[in-house]
Amino acid sequence: MADTVQIPPRGPVTRSTDGSAQARRMAAMRRVRRRRGLMFAVMTLLAAVMLYPFYFMISTSLKSENQFINGGGFSLSSWGQLGGTLPWLHELLNSTIVCAAAIVIILTVASPAGFAFAKLSFRMSNFVLTGIVAAMLIPVQSIVIPLYVNAAHLHAVNSYLGAIVIYAALGTPFATFLMTAYYRSLPDEVVEAAIIDGSHHFGVFRRIALPMSGPALVTIAVLQFIQIWDDLLVGMLFLQNPSERTITVGLGALASGRVTNVPVLMAGSLISAIPAMLVFLIFQRFLTSGLTAGISK
Amino acid sequence: MTTQTATALRRRARRTGGRAGGPGRSALQRERARTGRLMILPAVIVVVAVLGIPIGEAVYHSMTQWNGIQSTWIGPSAYTHTFSDPTFWRVMENNALLLIAIPFAVLIPLGIAFLLNEKVLGWKLFRTIYFMPTAISWVVIGMVAERFFARDGSLNSILSGLGLGFIHTDLLSNEHQALLAVGVTFVWSMVGTNTIIFLTGIATLDPSLAEAATVDGTNGWQRLIHITLPQLRRFILFASVLTMISAFTALFSLIFVMTGGGPGYGTTTLEFFVYQNAFGQANFGYGALLGVILFVIMAVVGLVQLVLLRTED
Repeated sequence: MADTVQIPPRGPVTRSTDGSAQARRMAAMRRVRRRRGLMFAVMTLLAAVMLYPFYFMISTSLKSENQFINGGGFSLSSWGQLGGTLPWLHELLNSTIVCAAAIVIILTVASPAGFAFAKLSFRMSNFVLTGIVAAMLIPVQSIVIPLYVNAAHLHAVNSYLGAIVIYAALGTPFATFLMTAYYRSLPDEVVEAAIIDGSHHFGVFRRIALPMSGPALVTIAVLQFIQIWDDLLVGMLFLQNPSERTITVGLGALASGRVTNVPVLMAGSLISAIPAMLVFLIFQRFLTSGLTAGISK
Repeated sequence: MTTQTATALRRRARRTGGRAGGPGRSALQRERARTGRLMILPAVIVVVAVLGIPIGEAVYHSMTQWNGIQSTWIGPSAYTHTFSDPTFWRVMENNALLLIAIPFAVLIPLGIAFLLNEKVLGWKLFRTIYFMPTAISWVVIGMVAERFFARDGSLNSILSGLGLGFIHTDLLSNEHQALLAVGVTFVWSMVGTNTIIFLTGIATLDPSLAEAATVDGTNGWQRLIHITLPQLRRFILFASVLTMISAFTALFSLIFVMTGGGPGYGTTTLEFFVYQNAFGQANFGYGALLGVILFVIMAVVGLVQLVLLRTED
């Protein structure tokens, strides 16, 4: 991979009065154009590498199993078979329910907490915030066994509820961190002025701070949507009833089973990827800001 | 922990000292603190109940023999026993090998970010394309990658198309090569995220420094090493830590779909080993122990990052 771009060293600029100055300028322009052409070519090649899975999914899903094994051909039969292999419509609905519910919980608990940490400091508040942020480091694999056993005791491995609560909890630390950072960027005067006007602290949050925090809420929602939509482990363990499976879990179950009709699998993969891709394309800006929130304080 | 409390208190003292004013405001102060505590309560309950208590339970159960129903106490010797188990070290070796992927997963996106930053025709579209795979699940990536690396897959077609047909790969069915396929897929999937991080970083660069150095007669390479990269240190550190956390804790689905941890223990990393022990063999106690070790590793990584960032400020 060409990952470094050599910037051609610029020679000392000497003023010359004769016509060769123009010739030199032309040569320099040609050099710049060639360099930019080369960079464009490298970026196109990279784009092909990054787009390969999409190309593979689309082209493979448009073949029958035989055509896939033997090479060429075009057929829609795999798309026809998809419904019988993967109840995708139902599973898309399940994914949507689980994602939406978890995101609502995350936003509901994280935004007031973020406001309190940012604007209503009290004894130990920074300590508690540190604890919540540190919980981001807990890998789900480290707690999944106790969670699973607890959920089994509570008969919550066969319902949306267990998975929703776990997804919500896994998303809460980062969301709280992000909301705290966001509310810290609001001037303290906004809060103080409203308090002097006789507002209750919670009222300031609800009527002034919360309506201003749309971008942060969207960032969290988008990040969590993609995270939860794409998750396999929690869904696999806590949505064991096939009628409650999310699309990613349904697909994972197909992929690990030994029935491998690759074109049908690819059609299913495309179906599962499309909603997350759409969300990504529409909200790309928010995703970027959420991703880099961890660096700038 | 106590030092953390101390700094927190000091910080609070500094802040409240700045604006609290006289005793007349103490009623308001109390109301403010009470509201604050109430507002953080839901988040605290969720985090403690679903993340905090289970990690404590995991620590307890790590010292037991436990099949999910019956549990027998073993004690701390469960850990010493694990550390003398060759299978455990075989798995840890896979984690260590995955570390080799980190420089690639960081440097390739760094180069791409510089390339994009030249704002060549269509760079915004390219940026979207490079970032797009972050939206698709490991399950999907794993399925495509499995076909790509298969004996009759695209990698071998590409190799023979390039006239390199004598290199015939079959990475996924070789215990000592399968991890390479997982690692390459992992690097590929980190490109989008890390490129975006570095693009953000490059946008914060102070162009006057590079200009001054140009006037001083440095070449492009010198400017990169001595001026640009030091300014990006923070971002490089962040991307590296994020990549390492992903390598150790985010690859479960990829491995599950692509290799199932095999052949043999070829692609069983610690996180996958947790799953295998607990949900494959009902070895919940040992699974919990492995999970605790994974958590300790992550906590150390987080602390190291914190220390490195602090020393910089």
